[in-house]
Amino acid sequence: MAPLKGALGRALLRLFAVQGSYNYERMLGVGVGVAEEPLLRDLADGKYRPAVARGAHFFNSHPYLTGLAVGAAARAEHDGAPPDQIERLREALCGPLGSLGDRLVWAGWLPLLSGLTIAAIALGAGWFAVAGFLIVYNIGHVALRWWALNAGWTYGARVSVALHSPMLQKALALLGPAMAFAVGFALPLAARFLAVPFPRWGQLAAVVTAGLVFLALRWRSDRLNGLRMALGLSAVALVVGLIWQ
Amino acid sequence: MILPIEVLIALLVWGTLVGVDLVSLPQMMIARPLVAGTVAGAILGDIPTGLRLGVVFELLQYDILPVGAVRYPEYGPATVAAVATAHAAPGGEVLGLGLGALVGLVTALVGGVTINGLRRLNSRIVHAAAATLESGDPGALVRVHVGGLLRDGLRAALVTSVGLVLAWLARPLLAGALAVRDGRPALLLAAVVVAAGLAAGAAGTLRLVGTGPNLKWFAAGLGGGLLVAVWLR
Repeated sequence: MAPLKGALGRALLRLFAVQGSYNYERMLGVGVGVAEEPLLRDLADGKYRPAVARGAHFFNSHPYLTGLAVGAAARAEHDGAPPDQIERLREALCGPLGSLGDRLVWAGWLPLLSGLTIAAIALGAGWFAVAGFLIVYNIGHVALRWWALNAGWTYGARVSVALHSPMLQKALALLGPAMAFAVGFALPLAARFLAVPFPRWGQLAAVVTAGLVFLALRWRSDRLNGLRMALGLSAVALVVGLIWQ
Repeated sequence: MILPIEVLIALLVWGTLVGVDLVSLPQMMIARPLVAGTVAGAILGDIPTGLRLGVVFELLQYDILPVGAVRYPEYGPATVAAVATAHAAPGGEVLGLGLGALVGLVTALVGGVTINGLRRLNSRIVHAAAATLESGDPGALVRVHVGGLLRDGLRAALVTSVGLVLAWLARPLLAGALAVRDGRPALLLAAVVVAAGLAAGAAGTLRLVGTGPNLKWFAAGLGGGLLVAVWLR
């Protein structure tokens, strides 16, 4: 089937807002339906509306890779696949796309670049580091969204082939260690950068408190998180400060 | 906090864009505290404060893995409010850091609650529109979706407004009390917030790294970072 370049472009643009109506009933479903709709417009009259309705059913995955499911489902509709097969395809893609996207982006590309940016700021790069982060991150972001939509449209119901792409496997293998190294490298530099204006006792208090909070977060990760600990400690510091007057 | 009206409007617009970017559109990571804080600092003509608070909240952000329907605080508009607070705080960067972080933490909590509330509201609206959606009417589908986007924009504007009001209240309510005794209470506040950020950053990263081979890379990075930090002293 000839690629529908205009329709693919419109679908890609809509994919940037795929989580716009995020909800607990259909999760990304409505956004997926909106993104898929331009790819369904040249279906025959009797097929178009049922396909649009199917596109808006429950769906959940990593937002950057949702295009893979959008392209694959639209292609399967064009290929005349039975409705229940298309529903099964969408259901089958939720887990793998979510897991792959989380490892690739949330636990790889994003913290890798964030760690490098923190380190660069701590070493004096200033706002240039932040501008670099935005540019480099979004080159990967847009490329991943475009690849996903194209791969979904190309492979249709055989989209699992795309998920085993050597490029993806190599990226996963590289991003894990790179992210771990970058964030590890950034942490001591961030500590130094943030504690520079503190006197010696303030630096010591920060180091000891950081150690204790880290242990608490590791010990009770089911109940505690960074926000709760930070708010709790701030409240204690405020009370101590007010008594200190 | 007395800021010119055009600066307040710029902060409100920026906070709203940042809030919408987190989930809805376009997820280009202007919602990351590093970016949100730096641009807020640029709007206020105080980029160093934006960078400093951006790093604090970026570290706290490592604690969050936004998978599935997990609930999390919203640090983007929170960082904007934090930078506005710190910029206007009297008595140096330590007081600004502590006071700004405190305002930011409360705003982040409010932001997280509103995200959950919006998702529940969207669920009710989608449920009510189920029959229309099942008819395959593309116009109805787009209306439901765009409605969600607009509600998220309103939500982000509301959260940023709350943050800016807190920033406005922080100085008269807290700055004086924290500045006594050579600012030691302010220093204590800043130290515990920085500590919480570093701890959350380390704990969050270790959750991602796990106990496999990547742990060695994390240790190697940590060692390298420590060497550079010591060398820079």
